[in-house]
Amino acid sequence: MDQRGRGQAGAPVVSFDEVSKVYGNVRAVDGLSLDLRQGETVAFLGPNGAGKSTALDMLLALRKPTSGRIRVFGGDPYAGVKSGRVGAMLQSGGLMPEVTVRELVALVAGFHPRPLPAGQTLQRAGIADIADRRVDRLSGGQTQRVRFALAIVGDSDLIVLDEPTAAMDVEGRQAFWANMKAEVAEGRTLLFATHYLEEADSAADRILVINKGRLLADGTPSEIKKRAGARRLSFRLDRVDETFLLGLPALVNLEIRHDLVQIQSADTDRTLYALLDAGYRPREVDISSLGLEQAFLAITAEDNRAGAAGQETAAPAGQTAGYTRQHHDQAKEMAR
Amino acid sequence: MKATLALARTETLRLSRNKRYLIFSIALPVMLYLVFGKQASATAYGVQFKAFYMVGMASVGAFSGALTGNAQRISQERKDGWIRQLRLTALPPGSYVVAKIIASMATTVPSIAIVLALGRFYGGVQLAGWKWLAIGAAIWLGTMTFAALAVAIGYRFMPDTVQPVTMFVYFLMSILGGLWFPLSNGILRKIGQVLPTYQVTRIGTDVIASGTVSMTSIVTILAWLAGFIALAVLAVRNTAETI
Repeated sequence: MDQRGRGQAGAPVVSFDEVSKVYGNVRAVDGLSLDLRQGETVAFLGPNGAGKSTALDMLLALRKPTSGRIRVFGGDPYAGVKSGRVGAMLQSGGLMPEVTVRELVALVAGFHPRPLPAGQTLQRAGIADIADRRVDRLSGGQTQRVRFALAIVGDSDLIVLDEPTAAMDVEGRQAFWANMKAEVAEGRTLLFATHYLEEADSAADRILVINKGRLLADGTPSEIKKRAGARRLSFRLDRVDETFLLGLPALVNLEIRHDLVQIQSADTDRTLYALLDAGYRPREVDISSLGLEQAFLAITAEDNRAGAAGQETAAPAGQTAGYTRQHHDQAKEMAR
Repeated sequence: MKATLALARTETLRLSRNKRYLIFSIALPVMLYLVFGKQASATAYGVQFKAFYMVGMASVGAFSGALTGNAQRISQERKDGWIRQLRLTALPPGSYVVAKIIASMATTVPSIAIVLALGRFYGGVQLAGWKWLAIGAAIWLGTMTFAALAVAIGYRFMPDTVQPVTMFVYFLMSILGGLWFPLSNGILRKIGQVLPTYQVTRIGTDVIASGTVSMTSIVTILAWLAGFIALAVLAVRNTAETI
């Protein structure tokens, strides 16, 4: 539809260069470097407290980095926001009460240099039916949609959303992403933070996994799954030899319960062949894809362990990264 | 500038829809004037009581409107994240505060006009045309010092604390400033005359009595205005990273 330049060709829309934010002795964001290119839909994925919101705040010029540099459309973030090329919706962002939805959307439209018509914005955000309701008398999901309307009303080139579908039901979430895809189809760049993994998987074409303020992984959803050992091999085996199983190639994670063995593997074929070559004849062999959720948990768990190992000075030499043995109850805890 | 004015228009609309605000800035002074305004024999500051009380009540309405409406809202909107949301738009910095002050000035006009009209037609105060305008303008501009204080309080305090703080300022400025009853010559007036509210009413009564205005009144009000603006700037700056 709209083909005007939404970003210079080649130049990143957003770039973080070794950005850190320190509060006291907490490194909320720790040496973060990344580039967003025009037209990408990027998910910022991480557990609560991973530093997602702090990173977005700095991107939107609400906070200043302790060190490092952020560029938005080649300039500083504040200039980017004030040029009207950025539309944002934060968890901490509020609405003006005592006015109607329509009045509010029209008002904020007027703050931008080349806004969408208010009526069109109401349609796109799915709030045309509540346009005459007062902003302070809406449900949580409706409020969320009004905040989304404010993020898109400026017809911005970059849209930043922090947990956009929090407080929405499943139906609302689906409708939201359908609308969002239409926005992105016009060449906009979208960055959204989420801890709904299926949301990152289905909506994003690139995922940045962040934990403890650091970037752990950057790739397409399928690359992220692969990186975490994203297939699961499970079988039953009498006389389980744990030491042998831990030595299987491509193994990322191992769980044993009685005779049931579950292996998370980066290459299930190789793992299985090695098992068979060693003369084992497992029963009820099953190979399945891991969802992004398990992949994500595996990556962050790996990171948390690496951090713990680092504090105890030395991890045993020769130990493969991400090579673990988990007790069943602990694994169950994590999967929750 | 267009965006700032649009925001100011919306803020004005919101204030005029707010019952609490209308009670303090219009209903209360009107009611008090209806009850106490017609003490025909008394005098204060060299003018008839009904003229003094008209000036006093117009000042009460104007300054309490400028003070209470904005302080509470700014604090609440800071807490709710509306100010944060505005910072994410292309709205120029400072527009939010400017719009609040414009809205305050706009909604104060009818509250002053209503009380003055009451003085004229109910109290029977007779004045030359220019004096009406001078009194109205003096009260309007003088009480705007409190619009700056409201910004300072709104940015400095959380919503729960704003209420007692503004009430304290309201009673201090009304009673010690001699808006509800004139300050007799003595210790009370010595204290009261350093307050901007006292000086605003004195400008009003001096205009009525002699058509002149004392320099002391103007300097006192400007000094408070400068102080309140300094407080407001400090409060806004201190919260820049936490909004």
